[in-house]
Amino acid sequence: MDLSPFESDNSVSCRLASEIPDVCRTEDCCLGIDEAGRGPVLGPMVYGICFCPVSKKQELKDSKVADSKTLNEVERENLFQKIDESKSYIGWALQIISPNTISTSMLQRTKYNLNAISHDTAIDLVQYALDSGVQLKEVFVDTVGPADKYEDKLSKRFPGIDVTVRPKADSLFPIVSAASICAKVARDRVVKGWSFSEDMGDVEADYGSGYPSDPKTKAWMLKYLDPVFGYPQFVRFSWSTAQTLMDSKGVTVHWDDDDEDGEKGAQRQNNKSMLAYFSASAGGKDQKSTHQTHRFFTERRLKSLEAL
Amino acid sequence: MSCNSSVTRVNVSSVGQAQRVPVHLLPCEIEHNGPAQVSQYLTATTKDCKLEKMVSFRGRGLKGQELSCPQGYTGLVLKETNKPGSDQEDRTVKVSSVFDKLTYWNLETPPNSDDTVVMAMDWPELAEAIHGPVED
Repeated sequence: MDLSPFESDNSVSCRLASEIPDVCRTEDCCLGIDEAGRGPVLGPMVYGICFCPVSKKQELKDSKVADSKTLNEVERENLFQKIDESKSYIGWALQIISPNTISTSMLQRTKYNLNAISHDTAIDLVQYALDSGVQLKEVFVDTVGPADKYEDKLSKRFPGIDVTVRPKADSLFPIVSAASICAKVARDRVVKGWSFSEDMGDVEADYGSGYPSDPKTKAWMLKYLDPVFGYPQFVRFSWSTAQTLMDSKGVTVHWDDDDEDGEKGAQRQNNKSMLAYFSASAGGKDQKSTHQTHRFFTERRLKSLEAL
Repeated sequence: MSCNSSVTRVNVSSVGQAQRVPVHLLPCEIEHNGPAQVSQYLTATTKDCKLEKMVSFRGRGLKGQELSCPQGYTGLVLKETNKPGSDQEDRTVKVSSVFDKLTYWNLETPPNSDDTVVMAMDWPELAEAIHGPVED
């Protein structure tokens, strides 16, 4: 697994893929989808697909690819080696969704939430397999949100393919388990070898699992909080853990699309809130009748300066 | 200041020693007045694309571009070294740094010629046309 395409710019998302086995272009295939790193506040989320001919299912089962969550890191690495050695009939592809992409998507003006990102990524990966000529007949997916709704969505999107969405699909279907191993191995390696684009000197790499509940992760986030910038792009700013720490230990930042309390926000921006009209004295004598500034200036936010 | 008689002086002689610094205009209000690790965070992660620059700040995507000060103008960053005790006292500010261009950032929108700060740079030329001496 060569991670260098992602590592050359870890602020954006990146697709990595194995060669497509010839046999997958001629025989009916099954495909599994799983993700790694959905919950952590640190690092990327990785989506993985694995596919092989339906006729090779038993062989895959015999190779004992179990749910990656029940394995430790070494076991996962070994199993990934096995998958890689079976490249004559197993193919895989990964989408590494950078933490910066997660932050900026979830915090976008028009919010793009993690479920939507997940669904779109899964669909893109299946489409990638189809575009590469893989003869897909069956797709197995570990659930994100309600299984039946997701299954419906995918079945409609890929007519002619038998889609099965199940909770814990990684422990039920070996091909999903294989996808899970690829995704988890990639995520582990990326997190371990994260190179910070920020100029932060020597960063302690002891950030634990990356889960907000991990004391090591918490300690790391306390240590590397910058009052103004908050965090390096390694951190998912959209996680409440990050938000809470920035709110309490960093300086406050206001955006024009913040959900601020109407009156407070208007006051800060020196505007009149809608509510002010109800309390204002009749006649509105509190406003000085100065001459109106021409729109040329207001549009450019130009003001004549009387005092610093 | 119309309500009292205090005067604010700009110590122009400090322009000569003032450093030329990169300046960023962000589309948000930061409740902070003081040093910030701009080069370590913002500059270090800025991506130069063909027509725009990209960066993220506090997890929000920004797009921006460089903008020059109007011809014949220099940008000044002013600093007040001794804060007056009351609003009756005169104030002196010195020039802490100068700039002839700045990078301005929009929240998620690509920079374009309708951006407020781009349009604001029209004013000096227009002001000159309106208020300048009439040539024969």
